[in-house]
Amino acid sequence: MAFELIRISSSLIQEQAVAEIEKCNYLTSRFGLVLSHNEAIELVETRSLSLKNNGRIEFGGGVINIIINEFCDSPYITKFNYAGTINELMEMFYNYKNETLDLMSDDDLIKFMKNSFDGTCQGSLELLSDRELARMARNLRHGYAPDYLENEEFEEDEDGEY
Amino acid sequence: MANIDKRNIIDRTRLSGENYFTTLLKQACVSGILTENNLKKVQIQCVEFLAYKCERYNSGDSSSIRVEIAESIMKSNLYTIGIFLKSLSDDDSAALQLKTQTISDMYQKGRRIIDTKFKVTKHIYLMMRSNKIDNPNYTYNATIGGSGIGIFFKTYNIDFEAHESPASIDYQICNPIDNLVGVEFIQKYTENLLYENQFCRYFDSATIHHLLCGFDDKYEDLLINIFEQVLATALGCIIVGQDPISLNITREDICILRSKLNISVNELAKTVRLAYNSLVNQLDIKRSSLKKYIEMSLSQVTINISNAVKLDTLPTVFPSLKNMDLLPKIRFFRQEKMENNEYCKIIEELLSCRLTSDKLALIKEKIHTFGDLDDVLFDVEFSIAEVQMIFNMLDEVDSAALIKRHPIKTDVMAEELSETELNLCSCLQKHMEQLNYDKRKRILEIVSRLVEE
Repeated sequence: MAFELIRISSSLIQEQAVAEIEKCNYLTSRFGLVLSHNEAIELVETRSLSLKNNGRIEFGGGVINIIINEFCDSPYITKFNYAGTINELMEMFYNYKNETLDLMSDDDLIKFMKNSFDGTCQGSLELLSDRELARMARNLRHGYAPDYLENEEFEEDEDGEY
Repeated sequence: MANIDKRNIIDRTRLSGENYFTTLLKQACVSGILTENNLKKVQIQCVEFLAYKCERYNSGDSSSIRVEIAESIMKSNLYTIGIFLKSLSDDDSAALQLKTQTISDMYQKGRRIIDTKFKVTKHIYLMMRSNKIDNPNYTYNATIGGSGIGIFFKTYNIDFEAHESPASIDYQICNPIDNLVGVEFIQKYTENLLYENQFCRYFDSATIHHLLCGFDDKYEDLLINIFEQVLATALGCIIVGQDPISLNITREDICILRSKLNISVNELAKTVRLAYNSLVNQLDIKRSSLKKYIEMSLSQVTINISNAVKLDTLPTVFPSLKNMDLLPKIRFFRQEKMENNEYCKIIEELLSCRLTSDKLALIKEKIHTFGDLDDVLFDVEFSIAEVQMIFNMLDEVDSAALIKRHPIKTDVMAEELSETELNLCSCLQKHMEQLNYDKRKRILEIVSRLVEE
């Protein structure tokens, strides 16, 4: 008998999460993006692993659906890299929830990721994680606005030229 | 028929006051009150309720939460439910509630009880503060003050950390509380302290102060329980036929106590109990709650007396009154310091001296007042060895005067001192450690009686 209530492994919750991810296919199919049942299971497993690695716990469907809905219209996501990209975005998301000390809401963090991914990173997950998100987290930890940019690298000379 | 007791299914001894809900759930399953399905239902409800509370905690901004925070919220939920279950008439009916009520309902009921307990505790705290005795003991005053238990009423988080007791409590009460946490712990602690204060208020606070000075001159800084000392001494007074209010046990009384109390533990407990009955009558204690608390403390007093008899340390349990104000004082008159010009010349000379022996000879020859010596110690950067040698030249009263002026402080207090003063204090401490026990004791005795004029 398991008395550690906090550690209940709820297979029911996992099944619900897979079903919810599959429901997103209805919306994403317009962009030619569809996840198979196995890929949906893999996403849920990645979520569990990311949560565990980052010392977090989540109830219900979580943020997978929000990430899918936000990123499905990205010009940098195709049917060939769809599942892999969503997996990596999710890992990044939980990592930066911790790095930002939970100072940013889920929606704001996902929007920031989407804007950076489609904008300055031009579809590069490495740039998104190691540059944009890292800088944003540092800014938040130091009390600056998320998009605060230090002008160290681009100091103007006397003529106003870089 | 009147002797027939109700048979309980739940084994009370296996329940924890701290984790009442989880231990009750376990016992309810073991005893068959809850089936496997019932247990699963309770577990699922707990997780669902945790999800709801975590959402509230995040204000809907985040779907995930750190594991440690979730665990703390879970503990808080279970504690609140446990408070409701504890409030029921018996453990069996509490276990049945797990079957018939939802987790959410039980939580809401527990939450209302905690609200009430919080208000009751605050009321008891205010009562306890108003009847606190006038005593200089630091931990006693700090614990009762606003930055001690008072913190609890400002920071207690009933919604998410109901199981925590955020308060700074260092004062040790006579009957320590274990197996309780959260508001229950604070309520019990303040209640106990209220009883201790009520009892101590039967005695004059100055007499209590003199009694505790008899226990230790520096009792202000010690982690002692005032009530326990007062109770033991009052009982001792009864045993030797003295007036308990006086708390006055003389050396002759100690001899009588030694012979009277050198008995078996059972007989000692009886003697203490008889003395307690007499004490209650003489002090005219009417409150049954106070009497109950004192009765609870008797076993501790009995153990202390028994150990003291065995180790021949009865004066620590029954200290004699010591009025520090009545002790003869040693007056230390400050003489006039030398002229500035003359002093500067000596300092220059001392700074130009290469040999320690020359420096010592110069001090011996030219420095005649305590004030000048104190200045020289600060103005000339002597090495540690040199300072030690200067201290060796001093007589006991001069050493005591130096210690009085530059008391040896704890690391925390020493933070306020300048580097030179810190060095001087540490040299003084080392110098004292080097002295033999008798001389050190004599110097400290002088320090306690020294009055600088």
